[in-house]
Formats: sequence, structure tokens, C-alpha cells
Amino acid sequence: MTNSTSTLRIEHLARVEGHGGITITMKGDQVLHVWLDIFEGSRLFETLVRGRRFDEASQIVSRICSICSTSHALAAILAIERAMHVEVSALTNALRELMHLGENIESHALHLFLLAAPDYLDYPSAIALAADKPSLVKLGLRLKNLGNVLQEVIGGRAIHPVNAIPGGFARLPTIQQMLDLRQRLEQGREDCQAAVAMLSSLPPADFCHASTVFAALRDSSIVVKEGAVEEQLEPGCYRTLTNEEKGPFSNAKRSLYRDRPFMVGALARLNINPGSLTAGAQAAVEQLGLSLASCNPMDNNKAQAVELVILIDRALSIVRELIEEGWQAQAPVAVRAHPGNGVAVLEAPRGLLIHNYTFDQAGYITEADVVTPTAMNAASMEHHFRVAVERSDSKEPAVLTRKVEMLARAYDPCLSCSVHLIQANERGRTG
Amino acid sequence: MTHPTMGIFGLTSCAGCQLSILNCEDELLAIHSALDIRDFLMASSINDTSCPLDLALVEGSMVSKLDETHLRRIRARSKTLVALGTCAVFGGIARETGARPLKDAVKVDLAIPGCPIEKQEFLTAIAMLLHGDAPLLPEYPVCAECRMQENNCLLNEEGRFCCGPLTRAGCHALCPSQGVPCVGCRGPTREVNPASAAKMLEGKGFSPGETARRLGTFAPLGATP
Repeated sequence: MTNSTSTLRIEHLARVEGHGGITITMKGDQVLHVWLDIFEGSRLFETLVRGRRFDEASQIVSRICSICSTSHALAAILAIERAMHVEVSALTNALRELMHLGENIESHALHLFLLAAPDYLDYPSAIALAADKPSLVKLGLRLKNLGNVLQEVIGGRAIHPVNAIPGGFARLPTIQQMLDLRQRLEQGREDCQAAVAMLSSLPPADFCHASTVFAALRDSSIVVKEGAVEEQLEPGCYRTLTNEEKGPFSNAKRSLYRDRPFMVGALARLNINPGSLTAGAQAAVEQLGLSLASCNPMDNNKAQAVELVILIDRALSIVRELIEEGWQAQAPVAVRAHPGNGVAVLEAPRGLLIHNYTFDQAGYITEADVVTPTAMNAASMEHHFRVAVERSDSKEPAVLTRKVEMLARAYDPCLSCSVHLIQANERGRTG
Repeated sequence: MTHPTMGIFGLTSCAGCQLSILNCEDELLAIHSALDIRDFLMASSINDTSCPLDLALVEGSMVSKLDETHLRRIRARSKTLVALGTCAVFGGIARETGARPLKDAVKVDLAIPGCPIEKQEFLTAIAMLLHGDAPLLPEYPVCAECRMQENNCLLNEEGRFCCGPLTRAGCHALCPSQGVPCVGCRGPTREVNPASAAKMLEGKGFSPGETARRLGTFAPLGATP
């Protein structure tokens, strides 16, 4: 029997953004193939923006993904400004950072409390969890709401921001809004302590430690790191990292670095930038029992909790500084159409996000390339699924399914994001 | 007392309308106490995928065969099917590359537009459905709401391309109120006259190509829910 071939199939991953499944084939205890099947329909955004004027781009590409809509809009705006040689004000940069922090806070809180926490506590959903532990779920919802309020006040809307435009912001926040934000962030700081305490009480999950390549931004360079070995890439050379290929059964692209899978996201950021830890974040690292650099992908959950501390502290310091120094009314910098190319790389909640546009003389887009974190993570997820299955003492389907699903969710995949380009090539999947 | 059963589903989309439901942070637990949520894959790993549903909320558009199969199955088990958001109602942002609205395959009982849906409009509509009322959603243009906000007209006074006159209200003129022209994300109003709109915009110096492109970003001009 040990040599018989079997297939483990997770038809439809729950509690993730978008539609995908997992197929693992085994011969006895040996894993033959692992596939992350992404069957979210293809959405062809790179085609959709071609022929659009530069001022239309951010509102279109934000629709790639709701959870990371601010990152997509911002990446497009930054790429446009680079191509058109626009320098924005210090105030614009501060507000953009604040809006982006809001998105990261919302996304991490959503993932940790509503999507991942039920795994550890053995509940099907946060709604079911709320029946027994209402204060825990309410804490998560309050942190999530804080992120949304930041995006609403600065970006004009929690999903698909409208107020951030090439050149700056159409409308600046009022002093009263800033004072309210300060108060909310102070409350958020306390909530964050409670969140870290809650997450540190969850049962440990360490079943797929494996040598892993990580990639994240450090200052404005992409750093790729495995163990002590590092390599730096300038944003313009991102294709070294993202030689995207489409998997056999998937509508999404995936990336390899020198033929190896790599992981992006919160854990990659902390592993690559241990110096970014504030005193509060360091305390959270210790409380969570996280030892950096960690090669346990399940630690991405803990890394998000540590980042919540960093994000809220940073947002609070920006808001305090703005309140102290005040700001002058200012119109966005005028952007004049200019032919050329612009690349922007930023850290979206789930990891590196790259937008690249080429414009013609009149400012219309002739070429676009968008590389999303989940497209980069796809190969790494498959690598870790394989490790988890191989290392598992029990090969019972229920045990394997639980481990693989937990692992998939720890990556916080965003499957809508990952299918932005490739023409649908439907697998004959029914059922 | 038994509560009405509900399912929340996403076809191909950015998941922003489901996320808008999860963004009702203050109301989420109350929604759960008024409705029996049986099938909500984005939020729960245990779902009843075959029970009859009093209410089905479906976001996204049909891009793949799988989307259509999924949608037909939802329709077959649901009393009331609500198309949630502009992708579901009009095809949405990806329609130029073939995405189709729900009504192309099934009967839709209520259409709630928006990209994403407006939280308050959504909550009011659900509350009305729970009380057996038919929700009344505005069909007049964004301009009506923009006037109420006492905004300067971006089209007439600043000469900027604003889709407000042809776009369905319900957002309280969110974009023009921030000084950003409307991009038409809620789809066309009921009584839009495409020929006269094109003429009006041409008179303001916008080329027919630009007019068609910008007005058609989220829905075909003149489409009805």
C-alpha cells in the first residue's frame, strides 16, 4: 500500500481573499507534485490600462484588489511621478505614508483576527469565535477599523482610495480630523498590546521549518536573503526577481529567484530589516517568542502582529508631528504629460509590489507590468506545502489538510491580486 | 425564532464588496444576530454549500465558465438574489476584457451598485429586505447629491472630465466632494441619453474617443441594472 498513488485535494480555500485550491499528489509517503490552483478568473489589468491617460491609472489598478487597493493606487501614482519627473511636497509624502500605514493596519488586523486566529483556536470563523470570545473579536474589529479610518481620512475611502492623485492630494485633512486620529491611534496602541498578548497565547505552530529565501525592501533597494547571504537589486532590475511564469493549472503568475522560490511579506520584512524594530516591537517579538531570523513560514502571523506595533507607533508619530508643526493649504503639484517609463516598488501588506508603466508623448499608457506579492509567493507556498506534508508524522488526509490550510492562510494570500494578467486557461474543473 | 438564511458569495472580483461587509465593524455582529449566515467562504471554513437560502448576496462578475456554474447553483437555492456592486450589476472594471454581469445568466432580484458598495446603502437595503420591503435605491445622477454638498462643479466651472451627470447617485458625491472628478464607478443613471451626453462633452472640448473611454470604464453607457 505504501507505494500507491494518492491525491490530497483542497477544492476551495476558505478564509482567504479570492478563489483557489491546493492539489498534492503522493506516492506512498513521498510527495510527487504540489500545486496551488488559482481559479479566480483572469482580470487582465495590464491590458485594461493600456491606452488610458496617466490620470486614469490609479483608479483602475486599485481595483486589482480591495484589501491592497491603497498600495496598488499608490504604486501607480509613484511610477507616474517618476516617469513624469514630479517632485511632491514633504506633506504629501507624510500623508501618503500615513494612508499606507492605515492599509497595512487594516489588512494585518483582518488577517490575524478574522482569517488566521480561528485556525489556532479551532473555530470555522471569527463570527463563530465571537460567540465564545466576543472581546477578542471586538478587539480585532477595532484595530481593523482604525486602519480603515486612516485610509478614509487621508485617502478619501477605505477601499479604492480617491483622494490620492499624481502630484499629491486633492483635499487635505482638517486639524480636527488629525486630533481625532491621534486619539484613535493612542487607543490603537493599547489595543495592540492586547493583540500581542492574545496572539502569544495561541498554541505554537511549527511544522514546516525549512531553508527559505526571503525578499523585502530595505530603503529603496530590494534585498534577497538566504541565511547570511544577501543580494541587493535596484528597483529597475526587478525582473531578475520576477521572471514570471504561469503554472500549469493556474490563472496566476509565479516567480522564481535564480530558480528558487522566495517568500515576501511581514516575516521577510522583519528578517531582512531587524534594525527596524522599535523598543515596543522588540518587546512584542520577545512576548511572541519569535526568534529572528525565522525560517518558519507560520511565523508570518507573529511577524504581522509585531508589525502592527511598528505601524501604529509610526502612524502616531507622523500624526503628532503634523499636529505640532501644522501644515499650509497646498494644491497638488501640476503633472505634465511626459514620455518615458516609471517603476515603483513598495511593500504592500503581503509583500513586495511592483508597478511599471511606459507612457507616450501625450501621457497615455503604452505598456504596463504589475507584479503582486501573491504571485511572488506562489512558488514558495508550494515549496512549504511540500515540506509540511513530508515532515508530517501522520499522513491522514484530515491532518494534512489542516496543516496545509493553516500554512496557506499564514501566507495571507491574495488570489485576486495574483491573477491580474494571464488569459484564462481554464482547467476542466467541475464539482 | 428562526432567522432568514443567508449566503455571501464572490465571483471574479477584487473582493471589495465582501470586504465592505467585513468593514461594517460596528454592525457585523448585529448582522450575524439577525441573519443565519450559512455560506460565506471568505470568512468561514465550514459552510453549508447546498441548503436553501432566503437571501444570497453575490459580488463580482462572470469571467470564467466556473463563475457561471457557481452563479447558477446559487440562484437555484436562493429566494432572493442580490447583485452586490458594479461588477455584479454592470460587469464592472473588467468588462472590457470580457467580464459579464450576473443578469446575463440569472434573474437578479435587487441590484446594489458601487465600486465598492456604500456601507450605509447596503445596511439599509438589507434591513428593508429583512422587513419585507423593497429597497429604494437612487436612480438620479451624482450631480443631485453633489449640489446638496454645495460643491463647485468640476465639469462646468473647472472644465474637468466628470462622469457625475451620467452616473447613478448613492455615494453622496464622494469623489467630487474631495475635488476629484467622478469616474462613474456606480454605473449609468436610468435616464441617460448617450448621444446628448457625448455632444455636451464634445462642446466642452473632450474628444469622442476620450468621452467613450472614460464613460465606459465601469459599465456600458446606457446599461440598465
